[in-house]
Order: sequence, then structure tokens, then C-alpha cells
Amino acid sequence: MTKHRSGTQEEWQAERNELLAQEKELTRRSDELARKRRELPWVPVEQDYLFETDGGTKTLADLFDGHSQLLVYHFMFGPDWSAGCPVCSSIADTLNPQVAHLKAKDTTLLLASRAPIGQLLAFKERMGWGIDWVSSAGSDFNRDIGFLNTEEELKPFLEGDIPVTVEQNARMCGTDAGGYVTEGPGLSVYARSDGVVYRTYVTSARGLEPAMAYYGLLDRTPRGRDEQGSEPMWIRRHDEYDS
Amino acid sequence: MPEHKIGTREEWQAARDELAKLEAEQADRNKTIKEKRRALPWVPVEKEYQFDTEDGKKTLAELFDGRSQLLAYNIMFGPDYTNGACPGCTSLGDGLDGSLVHLNHRDVTLLCFSRAPIERLTAYKERMGWEFPYVSTYNTEFPFDFELALTEEQARQIPEIKEMVENPPAWLIEWSRQIGAELKDGLREGPTWIAFARENGTVYHTYTVRAPDPFVAPYFNFLLDRTPKPQPDEPRTFRKDEYPD
Repeated sequence: MTKHRSGTQEEWQAERNELLAQEKELTRRSDELARKRRELPWVPVEQDYLFETDGGTKTLADLFDGHSQLLVYHFMFGPDWSAGCPVCSSIADTLNPQVAHLKAKDTTLLLASRAPIGQLLAFKERMGWGIDWVSSAGSDFNRDIGFLNTEEELKPFLEGDIPVTVEQNARMCGTDAGGYVTEGPGLSVYARSDGVVYRTYVTSARGLEPAMAYYGLLDRTPRGRDEQGSEPMWIRRHDEYDS
Repeated sequence: MPEHKIGTREEWQAARDELAKLEAEQADRNKTIKEKRRALPWVPVEKEYQFDTEDGKKTLAELFDGRSQLLAYNIMFGPDYTNGACPGCTSLGDGLDGSLVHLNHRDVTLLCFSRAPIERLTAYKERMGWEFPYVSTYNTEFPFDFELALTEEQARQIPEIKEMVENPPAWLIEWSRQIGAELKDGLREGPTWIAFARENGTVYHTYTVRAPDPFVAPYFNFLLDRTPKPQPDEPRTFRKDEYPD
């Protein structure tokens, strides 16, 4: 026996059909959102950002690598950290295999962080990722889109009760809570047309949830995410889980 | 100049803030649906199934590998496919390994089913470099009981399938060539996610979702939904080692 309500095939099917109608409505709205995202005005990027890459110093236009669209995942890895953020690492696990398919759709996907390029490449090797990773250490790239917070901005947060997950993640990165939340995670998206680069879309926080592919999968399992009251967060770097 | 509307940073921000409200509403709606999904009744699985796996014969309960939840994607790769699995399902499969270790640590076993014999699944898995367990439903009633595949008779009776077989669009003719099977056979496999729970020795079927739900699509679609240019409405897909350029 199970504590969960069990039923016959017919009962399940009847409730499933009802749910399906709602899932279809959600899909319709999701298509609508994608259309609205594309209606946002494009903003020309006027700053000359420079990035350190494993192929030398590059401009934002160079990062498109010949394609017309660029997706940048802003991976939390501060300049003085000992390792990248564990949650961003789990996101990179799920982004990594998408690079080849996106390339075929005229889209370059890469990671950017503020740590020096040498540190990023060493961590990338440890994690076994093939995805390109660039260092934005030398420019205001992160700050300009809101993915780098100043001490003053963070003061109210740091003076309050700091969530244990933040403390834990900070420890895992060899920094403290303040250092950890200095870096913001996010996705920024660019188009290139006639030699001009435009910023088209930026998202962070809850907007990044779809990047955590495992959450989408957990959402279809019988128990779901099952995170109520389970702090600190369960996510580890893929080579750091117990057992 | 691009044909797209250009704006200042402030104009963009104002439009973005409006959109953010809609995105938040959508996230709330998704949350409600997730709760309803979890509230579906569980249906005990009373039949015994024996599957061919990379490690020999296993029952459905054994596929849980000691965990309490099983989430499986049914890749379209039927016994008649002579060139490998459906390329679209294959690109969905490419996205699963990144989540594998994380799900396994949430008491969820993630695997894929297909109806082709196990030797062919194993060879294809090796070609694609996949790590998730790949289980064959060959010669079992499982795919028919859970609507993961159609019998020849069933396929003949579905008007949409009949139409696709008799008047296939160009991309479907190409797809048929990619999988190396006639459409009348190729279209009998259903791209489907299915979930089970195991509790006190009983296995329960909890959830099924099939195309065209966006969950039954490669994971990169969520990224393409956020790029500036719309993708052509072209259902053609390629295996990662077969892109033309």
C-alpha cells in the first residue's frame, strides 16, 4: 500500500485528461511569451568589452564565432574563489551537451565569469565540459547588465539572516557569503547584424529555472522537487556527491 | 541596420519589466500545474514485465535500481529502424546525461526505453556517447500496455498516421530515410515520457506525457525560445554526428 491516493486506470485517465487541457494552455502561453520576448527592442552595445579566452583576447562580436546569435550564461565564479558555484556547475552540466545543436541553429552558447581565464579552464577540465568559457575580468561586462553587485548594494542582505544555502555554497567556493553574492547568475542574449552587436534579452533568478534541466525532469516525477524544509540545498558539483 | 526595432536601454528596460510580469505569472501557473500533476492517483502495475538491459533481464521494479522513482523517455527506435533512432529523440537524449547524477541523488532513476533489440540500443548508445541506462522493451507487452507504441492494426486505424504515411511532407520522407524504415513502421513508436513510483514492493504508474507537449522536445528549445530570431518552422533534425556542415 502507498500513502499516496491510488486509483484505477480509468480514474487516472479522467484526471490526466483534465490536467492535459491545462498543460496545453500553459504551452500556448509559453509560445506567446517567446513571441513577446522577440518583440523587445534591440539595444546596441556601445562599450568595447574585451574577454580573455583560450584563443586570446576577444571582443563581444568575436564571441559570436561567425553566428548571428549569442547566448551567454553568467557563471558565478569570482576572481578569488577556489572553485565555481555548485549550482552554476549543475547548470553547466545541462548546457554543455546543447552547444553542437545550437550551433546548427546559428547560435553560439558559452559561459562567462569574472575569474581569470586560467582558473576557468582548469575548472572546466575538472568538470569535463566542452563548452567555451570566457573571462570578463578586464571589463564592466557583468556590472553593466546587473550581474555584479557592490558591497553597498549587498549591505541590507548581508546584515539580515543569511540563508544556510548561501553560506554553504560560499564555503564550497572558498569565499564568504558577501563574496558569493557579489557575483550574480544570469543569461544574456545578443544579436549581431551588419557588424553591430545588440543586447536583446537578459534574465536572472527565477527566469533561470529552465536552465536547471533536472528541475524540469523532477517536475514530472511522482514526488516532484520535494524540497520543502530541506535546507541547505542538495545540489553538489557532479564529482562531489557523497557515495 | 537590422529590420528589428532598435531601442535605448531605458526603452528596453521598460518593455522588459512588463514582460517580466507575464513571465512571473507563467511561473505561478506552472507551479499550480506541478501540484496537480503530483496529485494524480497512482495506478498499481499488476503485470510482470521482463526487459532486456545492458546487465541482463530485469523486471520493472528492478529498473528502479533501488530508488523510489523512475522517470523514462521512450526514444523512437523500433525493431524496423535500420539506421538508428529518431534524430529528434536523439537530440533530446543528448540532454539527459547532464541531469543524470543530480536526479540519481534525488531518489530518481532516469533511463530511456526503445523497442529495438538491446544489442542495437547498446551500439547506438555507444555511438552517441550516452551514459543513461538504455532498456529494450523488445518482445514485451509493455510499450503497447502503456501506449508507447502502436500495433500495426492500431496504426492503420489512426487517420493522422494514415495521412502521414500516404502523403508525407518532405521532412518526413527525409526522416524515414534517416531512421531507415518505412513510415508505416517508423510512426508506430511514440515519443513519450513516463513516470513510475515504487513503494512497499508495489510499482505504480504515475504520469505520462507525449508530443506535442514541449517537454517532449530537446532541452535546447528553452534556449531558442529566448534568442532574438525565430527559428524556421522546420521540423527537420539531425543527430549530432550527422550535421551537414
